[in-house]
Amino acid sequence: MKRNLVIKLTLVMMILLAFGAGQASAQRLTIDGSTTVGPIADAWAEVFQTMYPDLNITVQKTGSGNGIAALIDGRADVGMSSRFMRPSEFKEAIEKDVYPVAHVVAMDGVCVVLHPSNPVNNLSLDQVRRIYAGQITNWNEVGGPDMSIVVVSRDTSSGTYGSFSDAVMGSDRMSGRVEYVNSNPQAHARVRNTRGAIGYVGVGFLDDQVKPVELDGVAPSNRSIATGRYPIARAQFMFTNGFPKLGSVVHEYVTFYLTELGHELVESAGFVPVTDY
Amino acid sequence: MRTRLRSVFDRLFTGCTYLVVAMMVAVLLVILIPIFRRGASAIVFRETIEFRRLQFDMNDRGDIEVLKAEEKQVNQFRSKVYKQIEDFKQAVDTAALFDRADEIYRDFNDELRQADIPRTQYLTTRIVNQQIRDHLRAAFEAGDPNQAKESLDSVMEFSEDQRFVGTVAEEFFELAQQFRGTLEQIDLASQRKYLAEVEQVEEIVRRMFGPKPGEPVPSMMRFRYGATRWDMAQRQLRAFLYTEQWVETEPGQPLEKTVALRADLFEGTQLYELFDYVEQNYERFFNPKLTFYWQYFIDDSTSGRYFGGVGPEIIGTLLLTLMSMIVVVPLGVISAAYLVECAGDNMIVRIIRMGINTLAGVPSIVFGLFGMAFFMLFLFPALGMSSRPSILAGSLTLSILTLPVMIRSSEEAIKSVPMGYKEASLALGASEFRTFITVTLPAALPGILTGAILSLSRVAGETAPILFTAAVALGPVPKSIMEPTRALSYGTYDMAVGDRIAMLVPHQQFGMVLTLITLVLLLNALSIILRAHIFKKLQGR
Amino acid sequence: MTTEALNIHEAAAGTDQPLLRTASQDLRGYLFSKAGRLLLLAITSSSVLSVLLIFYFVSREALPFFADYSIRDFLTSTAWYPQHQDQQFGALAIIMGSVYVTVAALLIAVPIGILGAVFLSDITSFRIRGFVKPVIELLAAIPSVAYGFFAILVLAPFLQDKFGFDTGANALNASFILSIMALPTIISVCEDSLSAVGRELREASYGLGATRFETIFKVIIPAGHSGIIAGIVLGMMRAIGETMVVWMASGNATQIPSPWWDLSQSIRTMTATIAGDMGETARGSMHYRSLFAVGVLLLIMTFILNLFSEYFLTRAKKQLGKSR
Repeated sequence: MKRNLVIKLTLVMMILLAFGAGQASAQRLTIDGSTTVGPIADAWAEVFQTMYPDLNITVQKTGSGNGIAALIDGRADVGMSSRFMRPSEFKEAIEKDVYPVAHVVAMDGVCVVLHPSNPVNNLSLDQVRRIYAGQITNWNEVGGPDMSIVVVSRDTSSGTYGSFSDAVMGSDRMSGRVEYVNSNPQAHARVRNTRGAIGYVGVGFLDDQVKPVELDGVAPSNRSIATGRYPIARAQFMFTNGFPKLGSVVHEYVTFYLTELGHELVESAGFVPVTDY
Repeated sequence: MRTRLRSVFDRLFTGCTYLVVAMMVAVLLVILIPIFRRGASAIVFRETIEFRRLQFDMNDRGDIEVLKAEEKQVNQFRSKVYKQIEDFKQAVDTAALFDRADEIYRDFNDELRQADIPRTQYLTTRIVNQQIRDHLRAAFEAGDPNQAKESLDSVMEFSEDQRFVGTVAEEFFELAQQFRGTLEQIDLASQRKYLAEVEQVEEIVRRMFGPKPGEPVPSMMRFRYGATRWDMAQRQLRAFLYTEQWVETEPGQPLEKTVALRADLFEGTQLYELFDYVEQNYERFFNPKLTFYWQYFIDDSTSGRYFGGVGPEIIGTLLLTLMSMIVVVPLGVISAAYLVECAGDNMIVRIIRMGINTLAGVPSIVFGLFGMAFFMLFLFPALGMSSRPSILAGSLTLSILTLPVMIRSSEEAIKSVPMGYKEASLALGASEFRTFITVTLPAALPGILTGAILSLSRVAGETAPILFTAAVALGPVPKSIMEPTRALSYGTYDMAVGDRIAMLVPHQQFGMVLTLITLVLLLNALSIILRAHIFKKLQGR
Repeated sequence: MTTEALNIHEAAAGTDQPLLRTASQDLRGYLFSKAGRLLLLAITSSSVLSVLLIFYFVSREALPFFADYSIRDFLTSTAWYPQHQDQQFGALAIIMGSVYVTVAALLIAVPIGILGAVFLSDITSFRIRGFVKPVIELLAAIPSVAYGFFAILVLAPFLQDKFGFDTGANALNASFILSIMALPTIISVCEDSLSAVGRELREASYGLGATRFETIFKVIIPAGHSGIIAGIVLGMMRAIGETMVVWMASGNATQIPSPWWDLSQSIRTMTATIAGDMGETARGSMHYRSLFAVGVLLLIMTFILNLFSEYFLTRAKKQLGKSR
């Protein structure tokens, strides 16, 4: 019995060593970062996989902050972020000999959404700020029914959180009652399932299961975001280390938004394309 | 009195304990049954023709001839739906009608140019052509139905004219007649609304049937096929037949959801009958059949896990667990051997035992932190390997996590070997080392195996340690151990909290967690059976 | 005959050396065996090495945080704003969150666990025991992420619809699932210690006319109380260290519920903070280090609990050993 076991173990080891030996001989493209930009990256990755079947594409959506960190550490070729890099991140990048180049792949608007059963249709920026700061706690204070407000926010390292906080909160802090979720889909799910909820998601995540409100009278739409009328409009970035070599897969990937197919995919993911086909 | 009270308490107590156990069994069932039921629907379900098309395109399964025949049959019924919608749309889409009138005008002009007619006739016909077109356009643009009818009448004046018989211009009159018909059925004012509604209907039909035959194939996999499962098709049917609106029932209260028939929106128009037709013939659009999709366990999934199976996740979990077993089994057995055979009761051994116990108590997320800080950010770069997440980093982390379990169960196994074996071997002159390898270890092997399987099942279910060290949500099947991988445990987490897409395919969510639980439970069952077998062997001596 | 036997013996041995040789007679063998033992010792101490490495590496990443930020603020302030312009890392709400769900989970699991252990050790027959033990093992075997899946997709909507809570992902949800997860640990340890209480104690108590209820509550449980406490402490460790369930089902609101007994509000635990925030922080930033600091806190807490459980387990062994 012992001999059998030894033989089996050796076989397993050989198989695994064979695995280890077959190291990255194929080309790799690693993309990591924001969950907001994620759907665009996913759609492009799918197309690229059919264009280059041997290409090893990995898309991870661990958040804007980590995407940038992954780029700086060299763990990713493309770092997606729904916010621009912070000065501290830039400094760290330069210190590690990484020269970040920003590519704007789409425009996004951070939309404040409510449960569809909520009759409230518009809120002012100030009201939203006070809701998130905990000063308004019941819907009847803003013209809605008598329901307590369940405040949902993205976690504090997300780019979406950053944009929302800069545009709405200013220097105010969010109250402790705010529930943090880790991604756009989670925020969407929380608002969709909770009657008294208010949350914010990227415009690509709007559908008929949540209700966007007008902010200061402006509804989120392609036009209002593209022209900047919508108060929380922002660019979606993909960062690379230096400008990618022309003709390389990385270059083709981050400039895919310039092609018609890329434009289509950006639009179908729900974003406002920067190109005009 | 006291006696009765006491006996009452006693019975109550006994009853409570039975209750407790019943509660635990109930909880187990409440947790497992929904998962099994809904997860099983990922494997056994009613598939539609769309599913068969998907399987053929993606995995080359099925007979192309049979498939083509089926498609033809199904399209017979579907084409009626398309035609009705198309006709209606043509009637209401005035912008398109406008353009169509222009097109006919230009086509007729081309025809005239080719025709062999005297110049004066050519010029006058052209002028009349333009007049007809202008009347038609006026009809389409008119806000008032009476004005529209007047313009249409002007157009129809020319319908008998010899110059237009048998030419492209006849389409002018067809269009005019069609539009006259439309005018009688719909309210011109709400034309735009009809357009919006019919576009919604088109969208639902696209979700049902996939892209229209003749349209370009969409680039995203998700949109290339219609409803692949009968339950998805049912959902689309419901969306087709009914509309949901949130309406105010009382001021100052939350809105209530109301359900209305979508057909009512098109009341009086030719589209009204479509809804009945769809409802009656729904099965004929799809040819649903019960199927056993066992390939779920080996197929890859498409992006967002909308289609497909959990093959790569299973492979990833197996790789992670097997690799960590390779590290932890020798380590555990050797440590256990030392603790049982060689160790005395001194300070060193006590420290080691304390170490093992501490290790057992460390939270799994701290293992994840350690795995990241030590393996990925310190050891691997120091050895010149990449600091990206990899199977190696993940499995090393997992092996440290499960070391205490392995040591403890190996210790028990080795201790339970009867002293007589060891003594007999020593008496025969074998050295201690030899005794261990040839006598004790083989006797303890079943117990060690049980422990190994238990560790394996624990490792397969762990998520927190691989969060930062090895797991990835979307990626190819790994070709080497230095790549990250998908895994059942991380995939379950991803599907439970993640994607909007995940919410559209609950059978995929539950299927993933079902696969994980089944794997873990099978392993546990295996170890239980092994243990019972050992127990029997030890008893029947 | 005897000479032949002796010859065979010599032939078999090859030499005229005795079977068991001393160190001086067989230096090589002695050295090999000693070296072998040392090697085994080294391999075995890998577990101690791992523990030390864990403590070292986690602390190493956390130390710069403690150097820059006041520990008192870290432990006593509830202002956790790591990404704000002026960062604050008050972890009190998060620590309280962990304590909250652990205490609530134990409040449910301990009575049930003790009753269950009593059931297994004193009340049932072997056959039912053979049926109940696998049920408990099954509960223990289900992976935590599967529990989390159930918690967020099945239990949360149920809580929200049936009880009208604001949200289904709250402290109650997490505590409930955690209690189910801690139950097998508590039951098995308590049952071990209750079984180890000798028959004489039981027989003596029944002999004096006590009912089963009285015997168990007044005699057996006090006798095995060290083991029971050890079981509770181990269950506590399980609950505090659990990550996936609380991350998915507790709502992740960095707050201390007000009023304090309102379990229907969302809270956030230490484990969920680490798991949730880590993916998003920049390597080496204060936020990143603060998460390691929370990890250090977790390590310290579980280590102390471990010491407690060890203490009680040894006490149990000693006490029950005496009563035999």
